[in-house]
Formats: sequence, C-alpha cells, structure tokens
Amino acid sequence: MPKYIRRSLFALSIEDSRSGEKAYHSWADAIILDFVKKAGQDWQEDIKSRMPASINQAAKGGAEVFIRINSEAAAAELVATVFPGIAGVVLKGVNGGEDIKKVSACLDVLEESRGIARGSLEIDVEVNTAAGVWNSVEIARASPRFGTFTANERELYRNLGMFPEPVLEFEPLEYIKSQLITVATSVGGQAQGFSYPLSLTEKDAGEDEIKKVVRRARDTGFKGAVCPHVSWIKACNEGFRPSPDEVAYYRKVREVFSEGLKRGLASVPIDGKMIDIPVDLRAKLYLEWADRAAARDEEKAKAHEKPAS
Amino acid sequence: MAETMNLRRSWMVLPAHKPEEAMRYQEYKPDVAVLDLEYSVPPKDKEITRKNLERLVRDIGKSQTEVFVRIDRDTRWADVRAAMYRGIKGIVFPGPEEPGEVAELGEFITAMEKERGVDPEITELVLMLESAKGFWNAALLTGASPRVTALGVGRIDLTMKLGPVPQGEFRLYRFLMTRALVAARMLGKQPLGAFFRPGSRGGVASKEDTLKAAREARLMGFTGCFCAKPEQVAPVNEGFTSL
Repeated sequence: MPKYIRRSLFALSIEDSRSGEKAYHSWADAIILDFVKKAGQDWQEDIKSRMPASINQAAKGGAEVFIRINSEAAAAELVATVFPGIAGVVLKGVNGGEDIKKVSACLDVLEESRGIARGSLEIDVEVNTAAGVWNSVEIARASPRFGTFTANERELYRNLGMFPEPVLEFEPLEYIKSQLITVATSVGGQAQGFSYPLSLTEKDAGEDEIKKVVRRARDTGFKGAVCPHVSWIKACNEGFRPSPDEVAYYRKVREVFSEGLKRGLASVPIDGKMIDIPVDLRAKLYLEWADRAAARDEEKAKAHEKPAS
Repeated sequence: MAETMNLRRSWMVLPAHKPEEAMRYQEYKPDVAVLDLEYSVPPKDKEITRKNLERLVRDIGKSQTEVFVRIDRDTRWADVRAAMYRGIKGIVFPGPEEPGEVAELGEFITAMEKERGVDPEITELVLMLESAKGFWNAALLTGASPRVTALGVGRIDLTMKLGPVPQGEFRLYRFLMTRALVAARMLGKQPLGAFFRPGSRGGVASKEDTLKAAREARLMGFTGCFCAKPEQVAPVNEGFTSL
C-alpha cells in the first residue's frame, strides 16, 4: 500500500510563463517546480517575489506542489522558495544523512516563520550520485520528513561512469532501484521510477509501450514516476494503481473468501486458484489502494471544475 | 592517480615463481603487470618465490609497465615484505573484510617504504572483494587507507564463499558488482571487474567471451579487470576502450 497516491510527477519551470496552465492541463498528481538563479540580480529576492504565485498556479489542477532544491545550496534556496501551498521539497545531490538533517532544520524555521504547519513539509530525495545510493539507509532515516526516493537515472549513469545508452540486455540499475525501493519502504516512504530501457532513453515511445513500462515499474515496487513528457502522465495515473481487472478479481476474492470463512473454511477455490488468508489480505490492500487512487482522481476532477486561471 | 586511472585496463596476472614466464608479459602489453604470490604459486614454491621477487619487481619496474604484487591474505605480511622494492607500484590485497586490516597493511607498507628506500606514500593498495563481509564493508574498507586506489571483484573465492552459482544464473554477481561499482565511484577509486558468464570465466574464458565481458563491464561503469591468462590482455584492452 503506498503512503502517497503520487503516481505521476511532472517538472515545470517557474520561468515558463505558461507553467500554471501546463500544470493544470497535465492532470499530474504532483508538480515539481524548478527555478533559475538569474545572474546580475538578487536571485533570492527575484524568486521570492514570484514563487508564491507560481505555487498557487501549479496547484490549481489539484496537484501537490514540490520545489526542487540543490543540496549544496539548500539553505539559501529554501529561503527563496518555501511558501504556503507546497507539500515539500525535492532535494537533489544528497550525499548523506547530514544533508537531510540540515534541510529539515531549515524547514523547521521556515514553517514557523511562514505560517506552515509544523513538521508538515516533506523531503523527497532525487538520487543522482553514488554516495546517495550507498548512504540511502542513513538518508532515509535522517528525518521523519523523508517521503520518497526517485532515481535520476541519467545523472546516476554519468556519476557511475556508465555508458548512457540502452545497449545492455539487462537492467543496469536493477539493484540500485531495488535498494531504493526497499530502503524507502522500510521507513514508511516509497520510491518513484520507471523500468529500463525507457527509464534511460525517456523516448516518447507511444502509449502501449509506456503502459508496459509503467506496469513493470509498478510490479517492481515503484509507486509513481517523474514523467519526462506530459503524454506519459495518463499512463502513470492509470498504471500505478490496481487495474480494473485486478479490482474486479480482488472484489470477488473478498466476497468468496468471506463466505468461505462463514462456512468454517480457511481456503476456498476461485477459478482453480486457492484463496487463503494472505490472498484475502492482498485483496484488501489492493482494493484500499484502488479506492484511494479513485479518491485522488475525484479530488483533481473537482479542482478542474474551476478554470485554470 | 586520476590521470593514469583510465590507462589501467588490463591487469595481467603473472606467475611470480616462474620469472622467465612472468617476463613474457612484454609480448602481451598489459597496462599493469601483477606478480602473483597467491593462487599461481604452489605452496612449496612460496618461500623461494618471495626470495626472488625483488629482481622481478625491479626489472618490471624499470619498464613502461606498472608492476603490482598480488599477495596472499594468509601470508600478507611476508608477501608485502618480499614485494617492497624500488619499482613497485602497488599491492593487490585479496579478500579484505575489516577496515582495520586495510589500515594495518597500509601502515606496514609505510614502514617498508622507509626501510627499503621506496619513495614514501606512493605505493598503492588495490582491494579485491571476495566475501560477503568484504562486499558489505566495501566503502569502509576503501576509506581505511589513503593508499587504496582501486576496488575489484574477486570471483573464485567469492563463488566458494557464497555458494555455487547455477549455470546461466548471473544475478548475484550483478548485485555484487553494482555494490563494488557504487562504492568505488563514491570514493573516486577505479572500479575493476568484468561480466564473465558462468562456464566461461577466469582461466577458461575464450577471447570472444573475454571481449564481451569487458565491453559489458565498461558499459556498466568499470574501467579495467584482471586477466587470468595472457590471451585475455588484448580483448580486455579492446573491451575497455571501444564499444
């Protein structure tokens, strides 16, 4: 069961004058806002002056809003970007738990001074270095604010000296992804990512291929993904959740198993398969997951009843 | 180190107990000559091999090829003592498990550099991970001595310690190699290893399989590997150079 229904994340720049409109029409579960530090002016003041409106615009379609921050300049960037309306920050270039602790301490102060509920802002980590992978346990345990890991595959390839083309027959980051999923889940969080090779090429491969990649990613343990193209969002929203077939099957499982229990049975057959307690438990979790995903879709639909601007 | 790192593609293992055979390394042009005091040398020949090692180290050390000595974990002190002569570039330490072992060996090398008139602080340590414990401690081991410049995956002992690998199954090695790669890259060391397949590894790998193993390793981020036999040097150099 995912902690968050955050199937699709989409990055937009506040420098893009249409970012609010794009966020609204994307139907992404979450928007990640990027910014540019413009040379020759007080970049902090510049971003501070524009960020609240950008956050507001990005949230109009019902998306959660995050700001992407660089770990090495986190303190200054947080001051410029953290305002009411965001769900948290996505931290890049994290090498160890200390990086998270420093950001968490900054958020404590900013929550207090900017009228944001104490402890509410999440820290998500975009893993793009070998140190980020190696120290993932320490990173995830560094603060209760930790929410998710996302593997930034292209940057990881570069950092690990890997050849950045999908020429290998096997998934080169299989074990790194497995580690990030396991570690994030172990602290009650979750991980986001796609499966190879589209995860690396980020080619706009067509709906069928994207659906397959999303399904593989979901079955690996990812609960969502950062979409490189707006056209991937629909497949993510539909794919990072139990499918309609699974929902129908698990409803039947719950019904038949419940009747079996009333008759004093610990296992019952459905279509030649034996249904027992673990299967019923999985059915319960899958149905709850499907309900939460449906509720999230309703939330966004409601937000879309209002115009984008 | 950084400028020479990419030139160390092929690490040719040479039988230190057979000086004439060892000196044939020149025909194969490896990037690194590794005089072996570990498995290549029969136990009965170890003592005499150590006594004669100085000459080999000095001779190869004068050439363009860098010379390392692979020591035996169980006799490492005697082996390092035998290897530390002018010309030595580094020591290959197979099977470290605890950071203290690496630190201690580094300190012993410092003492030997002083005793033998070898330039101080330049003798490198290459760690070959060969056990579950070693892999788990990879980053701690690598950080235990400033002499460590490379981290590699040792296969024979690893297979023995982690149990037999079913034919066709390669997943465990990929996990371990990924772990070694991440540790090495995190700490700025050279990652050594190749994607050999079951049934065609080490001394039995053909030229074609060696080339494939080296190429796949390069794609995965490794930059060199050990050559158990001379014929592997050329495909290893090629595999770690072109795709």
